[in-house]
Amino acid sequence: MKKYNTPLIDQLEKGPWPSFVTEMKKAGKNNEMSNDAVGHLEKCYTTKMGYWKHGGIVGVLGYGGGIIGRYSELGEEFPGVAHFHTVRLNQPSGFFYTSKALREICDIWDKYGSGLTNMHGSTGDIVLLGTKTDALETIFAEYSSRGWDLGGSGSDLRTPSCCVGPGRCEWSNYDTLDLVYNLTQEFQDELHRPMFSYKFKIKAAGCACDCVASIARSDFSIIGTWKGDILIDQKEVQNYAKKGMNIMSEIVSMCPTQCMSYDGKELKIDNAECSRCMHCISKMTKALKPSGERGATICMGSKAPIVVGSLLSWVIIPFIKLEPPYTELKELLRKIWDWWDDNGKPRERIGEVIEVKGMRSFLEAIGVPPLPQQIKEPRKDPFMFYTEGDIAAYKAKEAEEKKTGKYRF
Amino acid sequence: MALPQRRTDIGPPHYRQFMPPVIDKNYGKWKYHEVLTPGTMVHVAESGDKLWTVRVASPRILSTATIREICDVAEKFCGGHLRFTTRNNVEFLVSDEKNLEPIKKDLAARGFKMGGIGYGITNVVHTQGWVHCHSAATDASGIVKSMMDELFEYFESKRLPNKLRLAVACCVNMCGAVHCSDIAIVAVHTKVPVVDDEKFKNMCELPTVIGSCPTRAISPDPAKKSVKINPDKCMYCGNCFTVCPPISIKNPERDGVAIVVGGKINSLRSNPKFSKLVIPYISNEPPRWPKVVAAVKHIVEVYASHARKHERLGEWIERIGWERFFALTGIEFTFQSIDDFTFMRDTMRTASTFKW
Amino acid sequence: METAELQDKIFAFCEAAKGKKKLKEKDIIKGVSAEQNVPPDDVKKAMRAMIDVGRLMYSYGGGASSVEIPSEEYLREKGLIK
Ligand code: HEM
Ligand code: HEM
Ligand code: HEM
Ligand code: HEM
Ligand code: SF4
Ligand code: SF4
Ligand code: SF4
Ligand code: SF4
Repeated sequence: MKKYNTPLIDQLEKGPWPSFVTEMKKAGKNNEMSNDAVGHLEKCYTTKMGYWKHGGIVGVLGYGGGIIGRYSELGEEFPGVAHFHTVRLNQPSGFFYTSKALREICDIWDKYGSGLTNMHGSTGDIVLLGTKTDALETIFAEYSSRGWDLGGSGSDLRTPSCCVGPGRCEWSNYDTLDLVYNLTQEFQDELHRPMFSYKFKIKAAGCACDCVASIARSDFSIIGTWKGDILIDQKEVQNYAKKGMNIMSEIVSMCPTQCMSYDGKELKIDNAECSRCMHCISKMTKALKPSGERGATICMGSKAPIVVGSLLSWVIIPFIKLEPPYTELKELLRKIWDWWDDNGKPRERIGEVIEVKGMRSFLEAIGVPPLPQQIKEPRKDPFMFYTEGDIAAYKAKEAEEKKTGKYRF
Repeated sequence: MALPQRRTDIGPPHYRQFMPPVIDKNYGKWKYHEVLTPGTMVHVAESGDKLWTVRVASPRILSTATIREICDVAEKFCGGHLRFTTRNNVEFLVSDEKNLEPIKKDLAARGFKMGGIGYGITNVVHTQGWVHCHSAATDASGIVKSMMDELFEYFESKRLPNKLRLAVACCVNMCGAVHCSDIAIVAVHTKVPVVDDEKFKNMCELPTVIGSCPTRAISPDPAKKSVKINPDKCMYCGNCFTVCPPISIKNPERDGVAIVVGGKINSLRSNPKFSKLVIPYISNEPPRWPKVVAAVKHIVEVYASHARKHERLGEWIERIGWERFFALTGIEFTFQSIDDFTFMRDTMRTASTFKW
Repeated sequence: METAELQDKIFAFCEAAKGKKKLKEKDIIKGVSAEQNVPPDDVKKAMRAMIDVGRLMYSYGGGASSVEIPSEEYLREKGLIK
């Protein structure tokens, strides 16, 4: 095997933080592909340029997603990375593993690939970095026969992912792990066979802490919330105070809705005014906990800035119950995809299509009424549309008022 | 050797089979948790059962050799159970308190770094860079490594007013929620792309290329059967390159990075926020990007010494005002920080009440 | 219509678009369904069966996925054309 001299990237093996260069070299010790990847990277550091080619159609028979083709412009100089395709394996919900499962993944990958991985890619998938075109069907047979399927890529449903939720968190308002498993199984066709205008991402967080960043990086963000009161254990509140927490400055005055009060003995919350932001609960987890009806808020449309600017997801459905078999949510997703399919141009994310076609058209198509919870503030300009139906409804209301003698605004 | 029979549309394995018994038993019935050290926490269930978590750093790029070593540790102390976090850390799930100190000792001896829990800096969300992406204007992994070496104490021990989330994107596609981080580094191109007219003819579709440009800088060039780019309108987003590789935007001397700050994901206290541009350009300086690292460290330190407890970077800046942020950090305010693209009307100040 | 005949129509539909328009799955389903007066679900099933054996394949470019006819070498190698 060729030995590369790598003075530049060697400098990234020093220092306390774990080194990706060390990982690449470890994999390269007995793997030609990774060894060449090390040499290839040194070259990038020398010239301050990348050499990966944007191109090539690769995949496994019958699927349109899950494999990402990658070739180097420097295939002659570094034959091990001439092909260096990515395999996306669908991760288990919550990224839980046993060592047995991980060893199985590693054994297959050492045999047919570079021995390099990302645990995990930002999509949530297990990312196996670097293999050749003619190994792909074999790799797929080895993994799928052992229960591992490919994730999404291209214009399809991307691999759904979620926070750790009920697996290890006291704040989860629904079963994030089960929901994501269930949706992934339900929509295998949408995941593996690109049929959309562009990618569609679903991320599920159990509460407003949003440990999967769903609000910023998913077309369909599911964020857990509740409808009842925050239960208070006053003894535990006193324990926090005794341990040095300044309840007034750290909790009460940082409450965004100013709905809390504290007289040195008793903490009170005006629950009707609480916006369920999780600040107080996350700081005093032993003393405070949500109660009552549980479910989630559905927000939609976030994406990175390409091309016209970033979007954060918008509130579409303030509250939805999430219990197996999640029929309402699945029907909602199908309605959304149908509308997108009828209205989106290629490469338009759903948030962009909603902007172009108008929120009203979208909400009507999926059967959601206008609600003040959806907006930060109402429209500022008077340049709006009225349908014949709108005016007829407003007139009918007035006729009704004439009859009853009571205004209803 | 015969190939096993492939199966399709089976989905991922069910997560429940990977959980340690203590989670299986107390699933959805957790009562509270306590952060013990920056590298360890304990979750307590309503039943009184406890689960200790030991979190260690990962470079995200892992060799199978290292994954096997992680497995060895999990088998020795956790019945083989572990998980990864959304920010790519490894978490060892310890069910028996007797194993807590021994696993920490074992991990330390093997050189694993424990930390990242609570009010400090955890692992950095980042993208592929020169390691694996065609679009990269820098190497994300190299910047992450250089930065975290310098900020390591905030991972392992030293505390901040709140969590501080870092991210690196190796081009303006910004794969990875970079746009909502406390401090993020975004690699940028700074020069109008060059069109290879000969290759254009064969490789690109004219309408797609023209349609790809958000600022309508691209127009047809019928004589050459190619396109031309209006330099007054182009802001180097690289979108045209993505749809048409013969339009080259890579330029080693001009590619660099910008720094954006003040974003957040969660809804605690204040709504999620985008990160905003404060440093428009720093040259690419592999292998260790010293100026980028110094800039990030400087912003972290100014935040650490000025913010109130529980204030995220963006919340602190909103309280004191952006003009004060620039004054306190000594960062030069430039034209690039004024949005003259999509959001000017929302981002200009519309009152005379500001600070000197 | 027999599945084999429908598949030939689908193939012809894709061939006609080759080099002109990148077809999404839905374009083919809607287009062939209207052209041949066949229910969309039948077209989808027939098309999927073609994709499963490699007579059509998913492709990727222009930022979006499409369905295309594989190269002649590929089809020949698989015994899908003579
Ligand atoms: C009009 C042209 C093109 C556009 C708009 C375009 C756009 C994109 C986009 C948006 C992605 C991200 C894919 C995703 O994650 O869903 C991508 C990935 C990719 N493109 Fe293109 N592309 C174009 C042409 C090409 C061409 C001509 C090639 C190859 C010859 C190519 C090869 C690739 C590859 C291999 C990837 C996968 C990258 C990865 O995820 O590792 N693309 N492209
Ligand atoms: C023109 C647009 C885009 C192009 C050309 C593009 C290209 C790519 C490529 C080539 C990769 C693979 C890197 C690798 O593993 O080799 C990738 C990964 C990815 N892309 Fe995109 N992408 C585009 C837009 C987007 C957008 C808009 C999003 C999300 C909103 C996105 C999300 C992702 C994610 C999450 C990954 C996995 C990244 C990781 O794990 O590091 N991409 N993209
Ligand atoms: C090549 C391009 C891109 C890749 C590979 C990519 C990849 C990713 C990945 C892997 C994540 C997942 C993070 C996680 O699950 O931890 C992600 C997230 C995100 N991406 Fe991208 N992205 C790309 C482009 C973009 C673009 C162009 C945008 C916006 C216009 C965007 C916006 C987001 C947002 C908002 C998130 C939230 C989190 C997330 O999915 O990570 N991304 N991206
Ligand atoms: C029991 C409590 C919690 C558990 C079990 C939990 C778990 C996690 C885990 C495992 C991660 C990935 C962390 C990493 O890779 O370093 C994470 C990320 C995160 N958590 Fe939590 N978390 C909890 C509480 C909170 C609280 C109270 C907040 C906010 C105040 C919060 C906000 C976040 C955010 C913003 C991220 C990062 C998401 C990203 O940018 O990718 N979490 N959480
Ligand atoms: S999003 Fe909420 S429920 Fe999910 S892990 Fe984070 S804090 Fe827990
Ligand atoms: S959850 Fe937020 S809004 Fe509600 S009481 Fe607590 S701090 Fe106030
Ligand atoms: S940010 Fe840009 S360079 Fe980095 S992985 Fe995404 S597309 Fe590639
Ligand atoms: S780099 Fe962006 S702005 Fe410049 S011509 Fe290309 S698409 Fe248009």
